[in-house]
Amino acid sequence: MRKPDGKIVLLGDMNVGKTSLLQRYMERRFADTVSTVGGAFYLKQWRSYHISIWDTAGREQFHGLGSMYCRGAAAVILTYDVNHPQSLVELEERFLGLTETASTDCLFAIVGNKVDLSEEGASEGCETEGDSPGPAGGSAPSKGPKQVRLEEAVALYKKILKYKMLDEKDMPAAEQMCFETSAKTGHNVDLLFETLFDMVVPVILRQRAQGPPQTVDISRYKPPERTKSGCCA
Amino acid sequence: MMSTKAFTLVSAVERELLMGDKERVNIECVECCGKNLYVGTNDCSIYHFLLEEQSLPAGTATFTATKQLHRHLGLRKPVCELRAASALHRLLVLCDYSITLVHMLSLEPVPSGARIKGAVALALNENPVSGDPFCVEVCIISVKRRTIQVFMVYEDRVQIVREVSTPEQPLAVAVDGHFLCLALTTQYIILNYSTGAAQDLFPYCSEEKRPIVKRIGRQEFLLAGPGGLGMFATVAGISQRAPVHWSENVIGAAVCFPYVLALDDAFITVHSMLDQQQKQTLPFKEGHILQDFEGRVIVATSKGVYILVPLPLEKQIQDLLASHRVEEALVLAKGARRNIPKEKFQGMYRRILQQAGFIHFAQLQFLEAKELFRSGQLDVRELISLCPFLLPTSSSFTRSHPPLHEYADLNQLTQGDQEKAAKCKRFLMTYLEEVRSSEVVHSYKEDVDTALLKLYAEAGHASLLDLLVTENACLLADSAAWLEKHKRYFALGLLYHHNDQDAAAVQLWVNIVNGEIDDPTRADLYDYVVDFLTHSPDHALVWKHADWALQKSEEVGVQVFTRRPLEEQQDGFNPDDVLTRLKKYPNALVRYLEHLVMDRNLQREEYHTRLALLYLDAVLQRTPGASGSGAEVTETQAKLRRLLQKSDLYRVHFLMERVRDAGLPMERAILHGKLEEHEQALRTLALELGDFPAAEDYCAWRSVGREPAYRRRLFHTLLALYLGPGPSPPASASASASAELAVAAVDLLNRHAAEFDAAQVLQLLPGTWSVQLLCPFLTGAVRDSTHTRRTAQVALGLATSENLIYKHDQMKLKRSSFRLSDKQLCQVCHSPFCEPVFVRYPTGDLVHTHCAASRHTNPSAPRPGART
Ligand SMILES: Nc1nc2c(ncn2[C@@H]2O[C@H](COP(=O)(O)OP(=O)(O)O)[C@@H](O)[C@H]2O)c(=O)[nH]1
Ligand SMILES: [Mg+2]
Repeated sequence: MRKPDGKIVLLGDMNVGKTSLLQRYMERRFADTVSTVGGAFYLKQWRSYHISIWDTAGREQFHGLGSMYCRGAAAVILTYDVNHPQSLVELEERFLGLTETASTDCLFAIVGNKVDLSEEGASEGCETEGDSPGPAGGSAPSKGPKQVRLEEAVALYKKILKYKMLDEKDMPAAEQMCFETSAKTGHNVDLLFETLFDMVVPVILRQRAQGPPQTVDISRYKPPERTKSGCCA
Repeated sequence: MMSTKAFTLVSAVERELLMGDKERVNIECVECCGKNLYVGTNDCSIYHFLLEEQSLPAGTATFTATKQLHRHLGLRKPVCELRAASALHRLLVLCDYSITLVHMLSLEPVPSGARIKGAVALALNENPVSGDPFCVEVCIISVKRRTIQVFMVYEDRVQIVREVSTPEQPLAVAVDGHFLCLALTTQYIILNYSTGAAQDLFPYCSEEKRPIVKRIGRQEFLLAGPGGLGMFATVAGISQRAPVHWSENVIGAAVCFPYVLALDDAFITVHSMLDQQQKQTLPFKEGHILQDFEGRVIVATSKGVYILVPLPLEKQIQDLLASHRVEEALVLAKGARRNIPKEKFQGMYRRILQQAGFIHFAQLQFLEAKELFRSGQLDVRELISLCPFLLPTSSSFTRSHPPLHEYADLNQLTQGDQEKAAKCKRFLMTYLEEVRSSEVVHSYKEDVDTALLKLYAEAGHASLLDLLVTENACLLADSAAWLEKHKRYFALGLLYHHNDQDAAAVQLWVNIVNGEIDDPTRADLYDYVVDFLTHSPDHALVWKHADWALQKSEEVGVQVFTRRPLEEQQDGFNPDDVLTRLKKYPNALVRYLEHLVMDRNLQREEYHTRLALLYLDAVLQRTPGASGSGAEVTETQAKLRRLLQKSDLYRVHFLMERVRDAGLPMERAILHGKLEEHEQALRTLALELGDFPAAEDYCAWRSVGREPAYRRRLFHTLLALYLGPGPSPPASASASASAELAVAAVDLLNRHAAEFDAAQVLQLLPGTWSVQLLCPFLTGAVRDSTHTRRTAQVALGLATSENLIYKHDQMKLKRSSFRLSDKQLCQVCHSPFCEPVFVRYPTGDLVHTHCAASRHTNPSAPRPGART
């Protein structure tokens, strides 16, 4: 088995659509998923790099595995369901802590999935037939307004940078890293993954130049600057 | 979940062999090293067996164990663990918290009595850090709380090398290099015992379940995780494989590449590490030990020992393919790469790819099939041979053995479904198109191209023609029969042509055009054949079919002669021969002569005259009666006139004979012109025809390339005709006619003022004409003559002034005087002047007259001016 060059991890509450997003991107289809047990991953070749994308289980039972999956990750995709405000809250409360083990210059993306279920959802490519939502995806009985606005995701993104004591200037802009997707219609799914792949390549190169994680060459590597106000924000 | 058969369970040590009828004896642990099998029991005994393996043809094996020795350790405690250190010929025995070293064969303790005390569990380092081959590294969980100890064990001594304390009480340990993988009370960790660095893996609950820590390879461990997960973790604390999903109550795990086996209270489950899927489930009750020893997987209950015999990978793969589980078969094959020698693997893998390709092919999944065929480097003839008769009879191909698939032919594969068969053939077509140009098929190009031709022909595919007109290796006999069968006669012709049988090709096409055989491929086949003949280097063939082509259409047919590349016409198509052949075809004849005269510009009187006569005949046929005064001029007539004007080669007098009384004044005029009979020509044009522009054009035409005086003479002749009463003016309507002529004269003068000598003209003009009428002419003439006068004046002035300059010079020279004495020397010969005669140069130099003369004849003489 080829050792991947970099790792991207999908985190988020169960049923927000992590498995569906990955399946949509890798297999170009939307089909019924079974609740993910433990974790699974795909290998994606992007240019000359092999990137592993890990799908994790949102179930509480497997929560403990998250830190290990995130270890050394080059990017983390925090996923919520735009129709379930609680799923966004969970990202901060339960999942953010798991990313402590990720690479120091790990990128974060925040993804609101299932926009097809709400009114001003993704229009292009969206089948408008009013089929009853799947058993697990049944968050919105009929199309209503979106429950979580994009600005809330943007706010979370900025908060994460503060928590991580990263300077906003050194990281991609929030608008660039917050996505609204639909695994069902495919809306923004390619954009999400491919934007991230492109951003991850430099991280991989930096990690390589840096050598194994423990031996940081101070003379060549400049860690991201920390903001002084970070801790009491 | 479809299952694979990866292992078979066979018995190794029967209950009777081990403990006979002693009910209370239970197996506690096993160890296997080569053929040596050791069993430790709860009554403090060790049994040593020798295992003999007999392979069975189905890929499995049976085992017979023969008891070698049984030794009681003399305590009342169970034997907890046994580990063989074959390099030291020692067996490590954990019993009553103490590890003793016994001889592997005699089972006698080492005389030194070396032992490790206070051990709860032990693990051997299979990736040792010391390079010493006569030493094994052993890790133990110590009876001391939260302590791990590392020992070096030699033949008859042990040495502690490290003691590390852990954050919580360790319950299980595995080791790889410096890395300990530990199950603590609440979590799994990786601990580097050399640096002390610890890395958390993930939490679990030791109260709920027994931990499993199992080294599965270099720097990688398998751990029992929450929710029945088998988690993989590396020494760096990351997971590189997705977890496998076990049941909640797994008690043991083993690895036999590429499988992970797990034991619970009722089953042994087999998962693939390659795709994480569960592959096999074997019912197994009351098992309590599952371990692998150098690739051998042993499972035991408290009463008996069993072996899980892996089926050879190739057999497993074949089984998967047989049940059409292509993906899994390929994953397994790819995963097996490291376990099989390279050359063997490549051959095997290629074959598997090909087989997989046929499975997809049979399911009409052509995209997948193609990729597999390509990467498996399939001999395409395997595919071709599915379609009966596609391979040429001469082909040496035989299908690979054992066969790559189970199908006799396409019909069987599609179960007679014509539509499916057509789809398969379409795929085959595109696939052959792609591979035919590749290096791979080089040695059997004929087979491929012939098959492709047959497929095209059968399907009525247009690419058939493209195939035949480009480089191809289609076999003639085979292809010809097939094309005939499918009535693709035009294509058959192309095939003949490609095989240098043009005569056959053309004959076939002629037959199609004649309607003797039917092939609607080309509606324009006649034109095609003419074009073909035109470019054919086979002259005999052209002559042979020329009549046929001309009979169909003279205009088109004649192209076989006229459109031929020039260099070819030179030899083999003598114009006279062609003309003879064309005698029966007047239109073709005209075309051909035109070609000779106009296109090839041949300067032979005969051709020119003949062409002119043919034109003339045609014109005369069209204009019965002599009323050809030019209502509309036919195309032929235009051609005739053009020829008469342009060519200087035809026999003018001969033509004049024919034209004179034929009522063709225009043509007559041209002929007069050719004979320099300008007055007659102009008379005809201007007076007879009244075609004044034509008359003017005539003047221009005839004077091309002549001196101005000649031109002027022509115009004057015309003017004279307009003005003077002609010798035979038309008797009737003389008044209006002469008025018309007067107007023509005025127009002529006004338009071509420059062409006339005004003085002469003025004398000719009738006195009654007003100045107004001739204003443009007169203005032109006056301006012209003024211009001439002024030019002359300027020239005169210039000449006068030039003359003055010379005079001035002369005066200057005359005015100055000089003295010649006998003291002066000639500038050329440097001797004195003896006579009064001398030459003086404008520079003032004086020389002898003879010296001056010689200077002009002898350039090497010193130039007198050079010194001054
Ligand atoms: N309408 C809709 N349903 C979705 C979408 N993504 C996932 N689902 C459904 O939501 C449920 C949970 O999806 P899954 O991918 O298993 O979520 P995970 O637990 O985060 O992996 C499934 O029934 C999916 O069919 C989406 O974009 N739109
Ligand atoms: Mg999932």
